[in-house]
Amino acid sequence: MSSEHTAHTGSHHTEVENWNGASEPFKASYGKLMMWYFLLSDAFTFSAFLIAYGTLRFSMPTWPVPDFVFSGLPGGIHHKPLIFVTIMTFVLIASSVTMVRAVQEGHRENKKGVVFWMILTIIGGLGFLGCQAWEWTTLIGGEKMSITRNPFGTHIENGTYLEGDGHDIKAGDSFTKGSSYLIHYHDGHFQPLKYKTEGGEVKTQQMGPKAFGALFFFITGFHGFHVFSGVVFLLIIALNVASGLYARRNNKYEMVEKIGLYWHFVDLVWVFVFLVFYLL
Amino acid sequence: MSSGHHHHEQDALIEKYGYDDHFHEHHEGDKFQFNFLTKYIFSMDHKIIARQFLFTGIFWAIIGAAMSIVFRFQLGFPDASMAWLKPILGKWIIINEAGIGTLEPEFYYALVTMHGTIIVFFVLTAGLSGTFSNFLIPLQLGARDMASPFLNMLSYWFFFLSSAVMFYSLFLSTGPFSGGWTAYPPLSALPQASIGSESGMTLWIVSLALFVVSVLLGGMNYITTVLNLRTKGMSLWRMPLTIWAFLVTAILGLLSFPVLFSGFLLLIFDRSMGTSFYLSDIFVNGMALDRIGGSPILYQHIFWFLGHPEVYIIILPAMGIVSEVLAVHARKPIFGYRAMVYSILAIAFLSFIVWAHHMFMSGVNPFLSNFFVVFTLIIAVPSAVKVFNWISTLYGGNIRLNTPMLFCIGFVSMFISGGLTGIFLGNSAIDIQQHDTYFVVAHFHIVMGVAAFFGMFAGVYNWFPKMFGRYMNDTLGKIHFWITLIGAYAVFGPMHFLGMAGVPRRYYLFDKFDAFSGFDDMNKFITIAAIVSFFAQILFVVNFFWSMYKGKRVTSQNPWGSNSLEWTTPIEAGHGNWPGKIPTVQRWSYDYGKDGIEFTQQHVPLRDGEKPSDH
Amino acid sequence: MSHLSYEESKKLVMKGLIILAIVTLAEVFVALLGKGYLVKDFHLPVWLMYILMIVMSLYKAYFIVYYFMHMKYEVPGLVKSVLLPTLLLVWAVIAFFTEGKTWHDWRAQKNDRPIGSLTGLVDEKAKDVKSSGHGTVDQKENQLAPAHQDTLTKKDEHGDHSNDAETKKEAPSHH
Repeated sequence: MSSEHTAHTGSHHTEVENWNGASEPFKASYGKLMMWYFLLSDAFTFSAFLIAYGTLRFSMPTWPVPDFVFSGLPGGIHHKPLIFVTIMTFVLIASSVTMVRAVQEGHRENKKGVVFWMILTIIGGLGFLGCQAWEWTTLIGGEKMSITRNPFGTHIENGTYLEGDGHDIKAGDSFTKGSSYLIHYHDGHFQPLKYKTEGGEVKTQQMGPKAFGALFFFITGFHGFHVFSGVVFLLIIALNVASGLYARRNNKYEMVEKIGLYWHFVDLVWVFVFLVFYLL
Repeated sequence: MSSGHHHHEQDALIEKYGYDDHFHEHHEGDKFQFNFLTKYIFSMDHKIIARQFLFTGIFWAIIGAAMSIVFRFQLGFPDASMAWLKPILGKWIIINEAGIGTLEPEFYYALVTMHGTIIVFFVLTAGLSGTFSNFLIPLQLGARDMASPFLNMLSYWFFFLSSAVMFYSLFLSTGPFSGGWTAYPPLSALPQASIGSESGMTLWIVSLALFVVSVLLGGMNYITTVLNLRTKGMSLWRMPLTIWAFLVTAILGLLSFPVLFSGFLLLIFDRSMGTSFYLSDIFVNGMALDRIGGSPILYQHIFWFLGHPEVYIIILPAMGIVSEVLAVHARKPIFGYRAMVYSILAIAFLSFIVWAHHMFMSGVNPFLSNFFVVFTLIIAVPSAVKVFNWISTLYGGNIRLNTPMLFCIGFVSMFISGGLTGIFLGNSAIDIQQHDTYFVVAHFHIVMGVAAFFGMFAGVYNWFPKMFGRYMNDTLGKIHFWITLIGAYAVFGPMHFLGMAGVPRRYYLFDKFDAFSGFDDMNKFITIAAIVSFFAQILFVVNFFWSMYKGKRVTSQNPWGSNSLEWTTPIEAGHGNWPGKIPTVQRWSYDYGKDGIEFTQQHVPLRDGEKPSDH
Repeated sequence: MSHLSYEESKKLVMKGLIILAIVTLAEVFVALLGKGYLVKDFHLPVWLMYILMIVMSLYKAYFIVYYFMHMKYEVPGLVKSVLLPTLLLVWAVIAFFTEGKTWHDWRAQKNDRPIGSLTGLVDEKAKDVKSSGHGTVDQKENQLAPAHQDTLTKKDEHGDHSNDAETKKEAPSHH
C-alpha cells in the first residue's frame, strides 16, 4: 500500500503528459471507466423517472402525505411514521459499507476477506428486498393500493365525519384541510366516508391521485430490480472470488471494485427515492 | 505520389518512433482471426463491426426511402392507380371494380411512421455514427481496437435484433405502428386507438428498447476509447475533428437515450398495465376511459429531451466527417480548429436545453417557451461559426473536386439552407403559423436528413478505399452527387411554399380543401423529383457493391495524401490494425501545405526548426 | 486505488457508516418534527423543511460518490466527465416542474373539474365538490358531463355496476 501511495503522489505533475495518450489519462482501467459511464446513463434513467414523478405531483390538486402512508411496522403496529423505511435505509447503507470493506480487502489481495464481506453485502441486499416485499405486501394486500388505484386521499376543506370506519375514525370526529385519510376496503369495496363540511354540505371522501400508486410501485420496483440484479451479480462474483478466478487475474480484484461501484450507485439512487417518496 | 516510396517511409517511421504495446506477444494466432463465423459474423474487430453497421444501414435506407416514394406517390398522384404495388403491399392496396388501386389510409400513416423511425434511428444514428465511430475511432487514435471489443460486438447484435423486430412488424396483419415516429400517446398508449397501435406498436417499442441498449453499449465504448486509449502523443488537441464529433455524439447518446428508455418504460406500463402516466380525459367511441390524472405532454417532454440531442447525434458525425474530408481535399488545414471543437461542445450543451421548441403548439406554458426560444436561437451562433470555418477552409484551397469533396460542399450548402429556416421555426410566435406544415418537413429534411446523408456519402466515398481496398467509381459518384443535390432541392424547396401557405403535413389527401387545390402541380413536381432522387441512390448502391469487388484497386497506403493515422495501416489491415508498433503522434492532423510541403502525416516528427502548428 | 493506508481506509468506512446513519436520522427527525409529530403543535415552515432535507440528501449523495465510490481519489478528468453532465438535469428539473405546476393551474382554472375527476374516483358526490367553493355549479356543464361520469363510475370499485347515476345519488357507496 505504501508504494502505491508514493506512485500516486508522483502522478500529479505528469498530468499534462498523461493527456498525451498511451498512458491511460484517467488512471483507471477501461472496465471501471465503462462502469462509470454506464452508471451515468443509468442515473439519467432514474432522473427521468423522478422528474416525471415531480411533474405529475406538481400537476395534481392534492398528493398523499408520506408519513401517513408509510407508517406501519411488522407485527401490526400502526402510526409510527417513517420508522420502517428508516430501518430499510440503514440496511442498505450497511450493505454499502460492507461492500467498501470487500473492495478494500480486494486491494490487499485477501481472498477470504473479500468473500466474507461480500456475503455480508448480499445478506444486506436480501434484507432490503425483504423489507420492500413487506412494504409492498402491506400496501397491496392490506390497503389495496395498486398501480391503478390509490386509496390515500387528502382533505381539501375542514369538516366533520358523519360515520366511522371501524378503525380510527368515529362519527363526529372532525378534520382539517390538508389532513390525510385512507379509504378502507371492506367486503370487496372501498368504503369512502361521508362527512359534513363547515358550510353544512354532505360529501364523500375521494380517492387520492392514481399517479401516486403507479409511480410508487414503478420507481421503487425499478430500484428494487436494480438491487435484485445487484444481488445476483454479487453472488456470481463472490463465487468467482472464492474459486480464485480473480486472484489469478492479478488485478487487485478489479471485478469486485466494479460491482462495488454498481452497488453504491443503487444506494445512491435510494437516497433520492427516499427523499422524494418518503420525506418531501 | 509514388506509392512504394511512401509505403516504406511510413513503416520505417513507425518502426523507429512507434510505441510498442506488446500486442503480438498476446495476440499472435488470435483465435478471432480464423474461422469465417468469428471473422465476419461474430467479429470483435471494430473494422468488421463498422461494415456490419454500414450494410445494415444501407439495407434500411433503401427500405425507408422506398416507403417515402410510395407515400409521395399518393400525395403527388392521388387519383392514379396504385394497383401495380399490389404484389408488394398486398392487402394495403384496395382495388375497386374499375381496377383502380388505392392505398389504405391506415397504411399511409404506417409508411410515414416507419419512414421516420427507420431513417432517424436505423440509418442516420446506427448507420452513420455506428459505422464511422467504429471504423475511425481506433484507427485515427492509434488504438488496436475499442476498449471492449466484446461489448462492441454486442452493440451491433442488439442493433441487429432491434432491426429484426422492426422488420417483422412490417408484416403484421394489423400493420406496423402508425402513430408517427415520435410515438405520442394516446395513439401509442392505447392499443384500441388505431390498428397500428396494436401489435405494431408493441414491436416498435420492443425494437427501440433494444436499440437503446445498442446505442449505450456503443457509446460507452466510444467514450472510453477516446478518453483512455489514445496512442502516445495523441493529445486531445491533436485529434482529428471526426473524433471530436464522434466523442461528443457518444456523450449525447449516453445521456439522452436513457431518458427515452425511461419514457418508453412508462409508456409500456400505460399500454399494458393500466396506469395513467400519459393519459387523462380520454374518450374512445364516446366512452370515457378510467385513465385519468396523467398528461400526454409529459411524454412529449421526455421524448424530446432525447429527441433534440438525437438531432445532433445525427448531424455531429456528419459535421466531423465533413470537417476532415474538406481539409484533406482542399489541401489546407481546417480553418479555426479550436473554434470548431468549442462549437461542437457548445452545440452539444445547448442541445439539452432546447427540447421544448418541438412542442410550442402542444400546450407548453408560453412563459417557459420564451426561454426555449432564446436557447434555440443561440444555437445559430456555434452553427454559424462552423459554416464560416468550412467556407474559409475552402477559400484559397487547392481543391480536388472529387466525389467526397463534392458531397462535403453539398453538405455545407444544405446545412445553410436548412439552418436558416430553423431560425424561423425556433420563434414560438412564427411557429404558430408554421408548425405542422410542410415548412417544418422541408426544414428538418434539409438540415438533418439530406445534410446528414451528404456527410455519410462523403465519408463512404472517402474511406471506401480503407474499408475495402478499392476505390468507388468517381464518375458514377459525381452523377450521384449532382442528381441528389438538385433532386433534394427540387423536393424540399417547394415544400417551403406549401408550408407558408399552411398546407398541413401528415395528410393523406387534400381533395376536401379548396385552399390547397392550387398546389396539385407542385405536389406532382415534388413527387417526380423524389422518384428521380431515389433512383440516383440506387446508382450509389450499385456503385458501392460493384466497387467492392470490381473497383480500382488501392495501391498505396495513403491514397488521398491524408495526415491522419488510419492511412498508416496496411491496405488490408488485420485485427489489431498495425502489424508492428503503433505509430506515435508528433503533430496535429492538419499539416497541409505547411512550409511548402503538401502534407505531413501525424506520425512524422517535426523537421529541424519547424514550429508545431497545434498550440 | 486509494490515497489512504489500509488502516486509515478502514476507519473511513466506519466514519462513513456513522455519518450516513446520522444524516438519515436527521432527515427523518426534521420530517417528524416539522410535521408536528414530536412536539405538539410545533411545525417547521414547509420551505425550510424541504431545503434541509434536500441539502442533507445531496450531502449523502456526495459522500457516497466521493468516498464509497472513491471519486475523491480519481483524476480530475474522470471526475468532471462523470459529474458535469448531471448539471444538465438542473434545467430539466426547472422546466418539467414548471410544466407540472402549469397543468395544475390550468386544470384548477377549469372550475367545474371535481377533484375526483383527476384522482381516480368520481362518485355521485362529484357535483357537491363543484359547488363547494372549489368551483361553481354550472348547470350546462353538468348536463354535458353525465356520459363521462357514468362510465367513470362504472369503472371504479363500487362493485355494483347496474346502478344508474340517479339511483346512486340516493344510495351512496355504502351498501
